[in-house]
Amino acid sequence: MGNFDGDSGTVFEQSYATTNGANGKLPNGNGAAIGSPSNGGLNLNHAEEPRGEAEPFLSQRKFSAPAYTEIRTRRCNANAAAEAKNRSPNYHPEKRSIANGHAKVLRDHEETQPNKVEGILSPEVEHSQKTSFEEVPLHTACLTYLGFYLLMILGYINQLLFVPKVATEKGREGYVTLYDAFESFYSRYVYRRIKDCWNRPICSVPGDELTLKDRVSDDYGWSFKFTGTETRCLNLGSYNYLGFAAATGPCADESEEKARNFGLAYCSSRCELGNNEQLQELESLTARYLGVEDAIVFGMGFATNALNLPSLLGPNCLVISDEKNHASIILGLRLSGATTKVFKHNNMRDLERVLRQGVCYGNPKNGGKPYKKVMILVEGIFSMEGSIVRLPEIIALKKKYKAYLYLDEAHSIGAMGSHGKGVTDYFNVDPKDVDILMGTFTKSFGSAGGYLAGTKKLIDFLRTNSHAHCYASSISPPIAQQIMTSMKTIMGEDGTEIGRRKIMQLARNTRYFRRRLAQLGVITYGHEDSPVVPMLVYLFSKIGAVVRTLTTRHIAVVGAGFPATPIMEGRIRFCLSAAHTKEQLDYALEAIDEIADDLGLKYSNKPRDPNPIIY
Amino acid sequence: MVDFKHVYRQYELITCINMLEPWERKLINGFFLVMLTLVIFSSFMYLPNYLETLVHFVTPPQWHSSTENVAQKMARS
Repeated sequence: MGNFDGDSGTVFEQSYATTNGANGKLPNGNGAAIGSPSNGGLNLNHAEEPRGEAEPFLSQRKFSAPAYTEIRTRRCNANAAAEAKNRSPNYHPEKRSIANGHAKVLRDHEETQPNKVEGILSPEVEHSQKTSFEEVPLHTACLTYLGFYLLMILGYINQLLFVPKVATEKGREGYVTLYDAFESFYSRYVYRRIKDCWNRPICSVPGDELTLKDRVSDDYGWSFKFTGTETRCLNLGSYNYLGFAAATGPCADESEEKARNFGLAYCSSRCELGNNEQLQELESLTARYLGVEDAIVFGMGFATNALNLPSLLGPNCLVISDEKNHASIILGLRLSGATTKVFKHNNMRDLERVLRQGVCYGNPKNGGKPYKKVMILVEGIFSMEGSIVRLPEIIALKKKYKAYLYLDEAHSIGAMGSHGKGVTDYFNVDPKDVDILMGTFTKSFGSAGGYLAGTKKLIDFLRTNSHAHCYASSISPPIAQQIMTSMKTIMGEDGTEIGRRKIMQLARNTRYFRRRLAQLGVITYGHEDSPVVPMLVYLFSKIGAVVRTLTTRHIAVVGAGFPATPIMEGRIRFCLSAAHTKEQLDYALEAIDEIADDLGLKYSNKPRDPNPIIY
Repeated sequence: MVDFKHVYRQYELITCINMLEPWERKLINGFFLVMLTLVIFSSFMYLPNYLETLVHFVTPPQWHSSTENVAQKMARS
């Protein structure tokens, strides 16, 4: 697997240096600083001032335009297109007014290149233009299936010939197997072959870099042994969107202080002894952050979905859920017993069809009587696809059909929008239009837990009825402190610009990385502004090959294969962070470029941008 | 040689052979080799005309222009 050199940290630094040196050869040799930061920013601000007054109005109108209330009619689309021409050319909010504040990046007199489609098309067409879901080449699809069949057949041969090297229970003759047969077969004979690419132990904070503990396997993945060495890697796998996961800095200091003063846990639920002032402050802060009336926090993000959906929904309810929703939502829906209907991923036409059918025909199990509640369940950023929900259109549909909207912002909170308030901020939608806002503190805030936010009435209802509130242990004080400190930093309440800089840095990193990848010719999924970047490699063997090769180049990434994705769509998922610098991204992109040539990942048939991508 | 390595790696990747244990590799590679030799052998044995046409079709024209002329002349005369 990795390189087992003892002082790999220094090697890594050196490799960065060489990367920068070689950078001049690349078309993107703009690593050098151009211009002084403050002047550039100021000039731009001056230039934009005359427009400043009209702009909020226009951007406000952008997604409350008539086109959004009646999506289907052609006339309205034409109106929206005409309106789009008048509006400011920037899709990503406020990206021009703020200088890139990362210490290692000095240039900012010039802006990121705007997308070609910006300002020309109507908002929803623009959104779909920026979202790419390229078709798989036919031969690759065939080979993927063939490879899979081969692995399965070999797995069955293996199972016939050899006794698996796993623990077996004694005295269970005649019992039905406790574990799912196919699942255990799959994990033993297919997944096991590239098991070393997953669940890799780390031994450092997962910031912009992390330290992997090296391990080797003598028996092809059945068991692993630590070699005792470590590999320092560039971290492209953590959901550390705003870079708050750090071992130093105000967040870490304040959390430490909190742990010293208040201990590590209350060992009790919120309804009993676990409630305290800090958590109440956290809830009011979360509500203020999101711009809604009230919020409730939980100690676990997965449980926030899985245990609160049953208290909101019952058997006589209809839930319309996106097909790519997260497992926690699906589990919650199963627990609730509500009728679940699935619509095609991010497809508004299909959503409306399902919604209309549900409203028109009622509940067939109840003699066609209308459903008690109808709820649309979507995520802000879909973690496997990297696409962004088309929120304004969904809100229009929700209002039209009088359905509730549950928005899971697990990945988007903090990462999207000019103030880091998630997709509502990104689309400039009133957060009160979304009935239930859900999110986690695990990703952008670098902590743990989840929240639900909405009206006071809803949250009070949850306080009395939610299982996660009544029975789960309350959030530990240092963890809550980490959330509060990072949230205040994002809001700018600590009196610094750090939060805004981080948001801008993330937006910039995202655009740069995605465009460079598109230029390389690999297939990426999702929207241009989403910091989750899945790179499609399709074949099962290539997931393992890419992860292993990138590890030898000191880059840690996450692969996702069959159980998590459809069989055909094996992928490598990059998660960008505000902690990454341009140099780090360039280093990663260079390695990806070489690997893509070597392993044949450049599937894309799209025309490639011949010009260098400006950071 | 380098080119061959690259081609072999591609072959390993697209057939998932690089994930397999050594004995499985030998099995699959051997299976593919046997199949390939059988196909080539049988096409030589039983379908020589077809193979000739195929070779004629695949190879560049100047390779077999002289022999072809000879053959054509032979056919005419």
